[in-house]
Amino acid sequence: MNPYLAVAALVFVVGLMLMLPLVPALVELRCKSDALPLSVVQQNAGEIRHFANSFRTYLKGLAPIMQRCVDSGTTDTGTLPDGEEYVVLGRADELLVRAFAEQNAVRPVLIMAGVDLVVPPEATFSKDIFAGGQFESGEKSNYRAILGEQDVHLGEANRVLRWVHAVGEFTADVGCGLYGRISSDLLVRLHADCSFLRMNAPRIEIGCAASHAEAGPAGVSIPPNPGSRNSSRFLHDGDFEVHTGQVISSNLVIRGKLHIHSGARVCGSVKSAKDMVIEDGVSVEGSLISARKMRIGPHCVIHGPVIAERELAIAIGTRCGTLEYPTTVSAPQIEVEEGVVVFGTLWARERGHVVASQ
Amino acid sequence: MIYVLYAIVFVICIYTGRHYFFTLNRLFGFQRHPYIDIDTADWPPVTVLVAAHNEEKVIANVLSALMTVKYPEDKMLVVPVNDRSTDRTREIIDQFVEEFPGRIRPFHRTAGKGGKAAALKDAMELVDTEVILIFDADYIPGAGLIKQLVAPFFDLEVGGVMGRVVPLNAGTNLLTRLLDLERSGGYQVDQQARMNLRLVPQHGGTVAGVRLSALREIGGWNENSLTEDTDLTYRLLLNGWKTAYQNRSECYEEVPENWPVRIKQIMRWAKGHNQAMVTYSLRLLLGKHRATLRERIDGTLLLGVYVMAPVTLVGWALALGVFYQGVAPLHGVIALLSLTAYAALGNLAAFFEIAAASRLDGTCKRICLLPFLILGFAVSIFSASRAAVSQVSDLVTGAEFHWDKTERFRKVL
Repeated sequence: MNPYLAVAALVFVVGLMLMLPLVPALVELRCKSDALPLSVVQQNAGEIRHFANSFRTYLKGLAPIMQRCVDSGTTDTGTLPDGEEYVVLGRADELLVRAFAEQNAVRPVLIMAGVDLVVPPEATFSKDIFAGGQFESGEKSNYRAILGEQDVHLGEANRVLRWVHAVGEFTADVGCGLYGRISSDLLVRLHADCSFLRMNAPRIEIGCAASHAEAGPAGVSIPPNPGSRNSSRFLHDGDFEVHTGQVISSNLVIRGKLHIHSGARVCGSVKSAKDMVIEDGVSVEGSLISARKMRIGPHCVIHGPVIAERELAIAIGTRCGTLEYPTTVSAPQIEVEEGVVVFGTLWARERGHVVASQ
Repeated sequence: MIYVLYAIVFVICIYTGRHYFFTLNRLFGFQRHPYIDIDTADWPPVTVLVAAHNEEKVIANVLSALMTVKYPEDKMLVVPVNDRSTDRTREIIDQFVEEFPGRIRPFHRTAGKGGKAAALKDAMELVDTEVILIFDADYIPGAGLIKQLVAPFFDLEVGGVMGRVVPLNAGTNLLTRLLDLERSGGYQVDQQARMNLRLVPQHGGTVAGVRLSALREIGGWNENSLTEDTDLTYRLLLNGWKTAYQNRSECYEEVPENWPVRIKQIMRWAKGHNQAMVTYSLRLLLGKHRATLRERIDGTLLLGVYVMAPVTLVGWALALGVFYQGVAPLHGVIALLSLTAYAALGNLAAFFEIAAASRLDGTCKRICLLPFLILGFAVSIFSASRAAVSQVSDLVTGAEFHWDKTERFRKVL
């Protein structure tokens, strides 16, 4: 073989091999198949009612049909422009709903009821449900999503996979599993052994013993927000204890474990870099933040956001936020006892569980 | 010479390991987003500062966006800091002031020292809220962003907050596409890993916030700093304050669309970073303050990122020198240097980080552009080295730094 040709061939082959990894890059540069900016949600501000609002908008076109069905006490079926099948109920007696529930197991359809809807026990609905009136569910039923224009009541051991929004009150009986967003414009009430993830309402009551939380420690003032609160902070390296009945007038930043003994009061916010234990009858006017586990209560009053980066346990009689100043309680895992009231948001990223009061 | 080379190899190995550590943490470690769930609260009053110097192309976008965010109107004041603009910036701002009475209070600065820090320092006379947010004029905040950036301030340990920057003009050309990948790696992996590991997330000076009491405690904005964000990060840290990074608080920005603008940007960042390194590194590493050991180490490494460019170049030169000298025992070191330098620049550590970030972002084909990043790295390494050399020569000649504003590419509305 001609040596020049051999060298040229070698250079060509090596060049080709070096260029090979660049071929997909050149193709992408030319075709721009993935050149749009990363998707940043500009309008959705993390609103818990987002799905409920979208669903309501989605159903707007069916409003005249629903009105007609309600007026005549009839039912109607059809298909939405996107191919989704629906049933509109102008009356919703148990037999009729039972029939639709059985049909749903084979051929799921979206249900829109213009009247009160009473669902029989052990039914499964894999499409969203709209109830123009009260929504009442029997026990051991399974739902995908429910939008109720009035109260929504789930019986024992119900399951909801995506979301529920009630314009009125929302109540879940013992043992319900709420695996998505639960919201109400008035009240959310959960009973023992319910599990939850994200909930929002002006008032969230855990169990029937919510009156426990109304008592709380005396003499707690209206919460100032961080903008107006005294911004001085007490910074401490290592573990720290606030003694029984002690009043702390500044913010606390503790870079160790923190133990606040019963009856103490902190007129500011509290942060601990490790575990935090808050005993009986403590009041905190600002936020409570722990970089690890937190145990609150019983009978505490916390005004600001409550955040635990690992686990959070809230005992009976504790109140977080107020109706006027709602707040957020959040942790990956939350265990909350019956008799707790949260005004605002209660958000367990991984698992939230209601335990019966002792 | 041999020992210098050993030292350089050692340092490069540390930075390579750091890239891997951050990426693996981001992929498999516990992810910290402690404040992102705060969606209901008694929200504090907030002042939003918008730094603007000749921003007629973009200022209307940011002000429009800020007027539609979901934050109590009576608790949010927007202060456009019009820093000696000579274009229509003032006129546009004043139009918004008329359109939204009581919600925008402009600060028109007509004289004074140049630079963002100096402008922000002067604008502080209009600020009386505990929480201050800062945006550059080319940013477009989404509806929920203000609440997300304010939420960490409920933690009294947090002095500064930083959100994530996402290029809006990512698809314009090769440069913007590479910057899109770089930003992805820098925020999605680097910053979030620092947040996860309780290290030192960097305050970026935009899509960011600072607590007024913390700012006052550290002496306010440092107008002598070339990068006020880096300076702020370290002064907060040295005074016992944390900077929180909110990876899900994303905001669009505009990235440079041509190489000269990009080079100027890198050089300014490099000079500012190096300035902070000289000022704070020894104090951070060895001084008596409240930073933890891990913060001391990470903070020092972070301060050194831009100076690593000339160090790497010197390492390559030394490696070639000793290779041609034929010093046999060093062959292993040269091999190691080649490997780690390649790793730091090439297809291993940094590339791994960016590839992981792209995966986390859920993007697909843009990852194909990864080989071209070598071009971006080459430009960065030479620009940062040039900045370091010019910084030293400025020090010798006493020349003052000239502030270069980053050019905008958006069409005027």
